[in-house]
Order: sequence, then C-alpha cells, then structure tokens
Amino acid sequence: MASRALAVWEHRKVVGLLVRRDLKVKYQQSVLGYAWTMLEPLALTMVYFFVFGVILNASRGMPEDTKVQGGFLLFLVAGILPWNTFGAILSEAPRAMITHSKLITTMKVPREIFPLATVGTKFIEYLLTWPVLILFVVFLGGRPSWEGVLVWLPLAIVLQFTFGLGLTLFLSTVNVLLRDVERLVRIVSRLLFYGSAILFPAALVLTADAVPDWAKTLYQLNPLLGIFEMHRAVWFAGFEELTPTTLALASSVIGSVLMLVIGYWTFRRLEMSVLKEL
Amino acid sequence: MAHTTYGAGLATGPVIEAKGLGVKFAVNRRRKRSLREMFIHGTKRDPNAEGDEFWPLRDVTFEIGRGECVGIVGKNGTGKSTLLKLIAGVLIPDEGEVHVHGKVAPLLELRAGFNDNLTGRENVYLVGSLHGMTERQIDERFDEIVDFAEIEPKFVDTPVRHYSSGMKVRLGFALISQLEHPVMLVDEVLAVGDKAFKRKCYEAIDRMLANQRTMVLVSHNESDLRRFCNRGLYVKGGGLALDTDIDAALAAYNDDTKAKIAEREKRDAERKKRAERVKKEQAEKQAEQDKDGDGGQTA
Repeated sequence: MASRALAVWEHRKVVGLLVRRDLKVKYQQSVLGYAWTMLEPLALTMVYFFVFGVILNASRGMPEDTKVQGGFLLFLVAGILPWNTFGAILSEAPRAMITHSKLITTMKVPREIFPLATVGTKFIEYLLTWPVLILFVVFLGGRPSWEGVLVWLPLAIVLQFTFGLGLTLFLSTVNVLLRDVERLVRIVSRLLFYGSAILFPAALVLTADAVPDWAKTLYQLNPLLGIFEMHRAVWFAGFEELTPTTLALASSVIGSVLMLVIGYWTFRRLEMSVLKEL
Repeated sequence: MAHTTYGAGLATGPVIEAKGLGVKFAVNRRRKRSLREMFIHGTKRDPNAEGDEFWPLRDVTFEIGRGECVGIVGKNGTGKSTLLKLIAGVLIPDEGEVHVHGKVAPLLELRAGFNDNLTGRENVYLVGSLHGMTERQIDERFDEIVDFAEIEPKFVDTPVRHYSSGMKVRLGFALISQLEHPVMLVDEVLAVGDKAFKRKCYEAIDRMLANQRTMVLVSHNESDLRRFCNRGLYVKGGGLALDTDIDAALAAYNDDTKAKIAEREKRDAERKKRAERVKKEQAEKQAEQDKDGDGGQTA
C-alpha cells in the first residue's frame, strides 16, 4: 500500500503530462475554448433562475437578508459551477481506463495515475470557473466571510475531489468489466443533481411538512448535499438555513472518505481482471 | 503470491527472470458472474473456475542475461504476446513471478499514447516524457527523431490525425528507438513501413544490440529471428517447450508445423475420400431408383 503510493508519487510527472494534454486538446480545438465551456453553465443558470427563481419561487427558501449579498442568483451560480465540474467527473469516470487502454497495455506505470489524471484535469477546470464566479460576486455584491473562505471553501473542495476520485477509481474499473455502468451513471447523475439541492436551498425540503422524517434523514445522508451546501455557505455564512446540518456535514465527511476507500479497494481488487480485459 | 518487480539495473546476473509464470483467462466470465460475486470474492473465487478457465501460459521459467537477444517462436495464440506483456509488467501473472532489472522499452504498440489532435512535435514530447525521457533529452534528439522517421519539416507541426498510418508508425519507432532503457521488448513491429525504412529499423536495432542491451523479440519472420537472436524460446500449447539457440527452436517449430500440415493433408484426403464414397453410394442409389422408376413406368 505504502509502496504503491510512493510509485504513484514518483509518476506525478506523468499525471501532469496527461492533465496538460487533456486541457490542451480541449482548449485548442476552438478559438473560444474557454468562453464556450463557461457559456453552458451560464446559460443554464439563466434558465434555472427564470424557472425556479421567478416562476416556481424557489427563492422563498432564502432568508430576506441574503438579498443584499447576492441573493438567489449568486446562490445558483455558486452551486451550478462546482456541480458542473462534478457532473463532468461523473460522466468521464467510467471511461477513465478505457480511453487509455493502449497506454495501459504497453506502458509499465501504476494504473492509478489514469483515474488520477482524469480528476486532476477536472480540478484545473474547476479552478478555471473561479474568474466567472468572482465576476458574479462582484456584480451582485457578494460578501465573503472569514468563516466561509477559511472553513467552508477548503472543506468543500477537498471533500468534493476526494469523493470524485473515489468514484472515478470505482467506476473506471467496474465499467471495463460491465460496460453498462456508463449508461447507468448518466441516469444517476440526473437524480443526484436534484437530490443534492443545487437549484433550491436544502432547507426547503427539510422544513417541508409533506416530507416524512425518514425521507429527510435519507436526504441528508447524501454526501453531496453537504458538499454543495458548503460551496454556497462560502458566500452566505452565518445563515442557518444555508449551512449544512450536523447530519449533512457528518455524512459528507464520512461519505467522501468512505467513497475513496471503497473506490481504491475496488480498483486494486479488480486490477488484474481489468488488465486482461483491456 | 504472484507479482512483478522492477529493480535497478544490476551489473551482473540475469536481467529478466521468470519463475513458474502462469496467467489465466476466464472464458465467458463476464456474462455469467453477478456483480455481487465479483465484489465479494474479487478475482479469486470464480464460479466457473473449473470448466471455463483457460491458461494461455503456465509454468514458464527462464532467465535472460544482459546483452542477450531472445526470439520467441510458436503458433498463433500460444501465448507469445502474453508472455511479452508479462515481462513488460502490463499484465499481472496469476502464478509465479517476473523480475526485470532495469527499465523496459516496449515496442509493442508503436502508436500508443499518440493523441490525434496534437501535433507531431507535441506528441513526441508527450510520449517521450511518458517513457521517462527528460525534456532536455528530447530537445537534443528531436531533430534526429524527425529525421529518422522521415517526416517532412512542414508536417512536424500538423496534428497527427492528418498523418498517414505509415508516418505515425515511423514516428513511433523513431521515438522509442531513442530510449536508452536496458531491456527492449519487440512484438512483430519490425515489419514497419516500406523497404527502405525497414532497413533503417534493422540498423537501429543492430546498434541498440551492440550496446549490451537485452532484447526479447516475438516474430513469425524467420530471417528477422535468425538475424538478431542468439537464443530461442519455443512456446507450445501454453508452456515453454524448448529453450535453446534460435536455429534449434525454429527447427522444432518448423517440424511441428510440418507435422501439423501433414496431418491436415491426411485428414483432408480422408475427408475427400469419404465424400467421394458417399457420392458414389448416392449415385448408385440414384441409379437403382431410376431403374425402379423405369420398372414402374413399364409396369
């Protein structure tokens, strides 16, 4: 286990090369590369703002005082941008090993670096969403707090990518043996999008009378719920409705670590079969 | 426990050691195993363990010393490439161990790692670094690589997807032949490009061999094998049948092939004979029926 980690560390340059290659390929194909990748989440944000905020009035879950520091629109942007990254991880995870089958079957490297490179690429892309987020913060008058920037932000990023890496390790190997996983993931991704309260404050569900208590507990057991609440708590720290509950916080910390453990265990367990199958 | 280790290059002793090497493929496993079983038992307990498993290689033991060039011969599907993959460390053995002392230059799939959307230059840097070359080394040798691959300068900065398949393979060979790894694994890639380029490849390989490097070559081309190798491993039916000099290995392989061909000819001849006999019988029957028919008509 330790020697394996060391081997991965020794190959960090290879991970860097793969990440750089993916970014290069992605952004050089069109002149407006970066602009295009930002346009999609922005267009979606506008649609969601109109449908959920204006028509369905999902913004009623936001406390009154948040209006002056960005309100529902900043809430949406701060959730959709990281979700976009997570969705991209989820959709590319099943192919993380398959796309590199030629390299894997000819080069002796620790196989972990391929899922690692996929997640690494997404991490850089996530960092690239920050200029857009900052723009929104400035224009909407968002007020970052010390609590948000020093506690919620690092926690959200670390947990999101821990969870993402575990998921990628898991899906990339299982998908080699059972190719239907790829299809399944697409459906699950949709469900998680609504299950993680990206478009409305989670408090709307947790205070709703129509939702039974067991369902509320189940809802908070989704580690992603807490993670995305943290992403938004960066800008709305101090509002109780917008910070994760103790249960959601615990399940996101434990869930992320558990996902990484399960993912890596599965990866090592299936590695031999995967190499034969590729 | 089966494993593969890669140590630092040693001055003495064998460069490649294989002990009781075996690898197992399960036939039809994917359809028949449930997800639950796969997770609980992993690869160890297979429900079809008895009937459907198949060992492309088993119980293979050999040592290869520094500077040797070993040719692996055998029929298609006897596990030659699998053996090469085990040495390269890209397949994990189910039984036994492989130890390789020193880095391996795999000439298994020459285009591996090339990305169609990147230019020739970018690909050389990418794949070169993936194989462990430093940027300075590539800088120094870049012109040599491009020159060897016979890529015209105007195409160096064109995306590789516009290259012909020959250009890609030539670039791949040119790059990998620049690696200074002490062990080279070659799988049927000597038949690359046109005649002129082939000659250059041979010269490049001769140069590498002269440098006290170890090479394992899988090929069906006898002249290639005779030209480079001083030792031959004959793989037959998933096991190592012979470990001698290349001429003896090839002779044994050819004898077996001849025996096989003779057997097939004999079988073919028998089948023909049988077919003829059946035909004759049918003809006789037909004739009898015709006669009966005639009789019926006249009656």
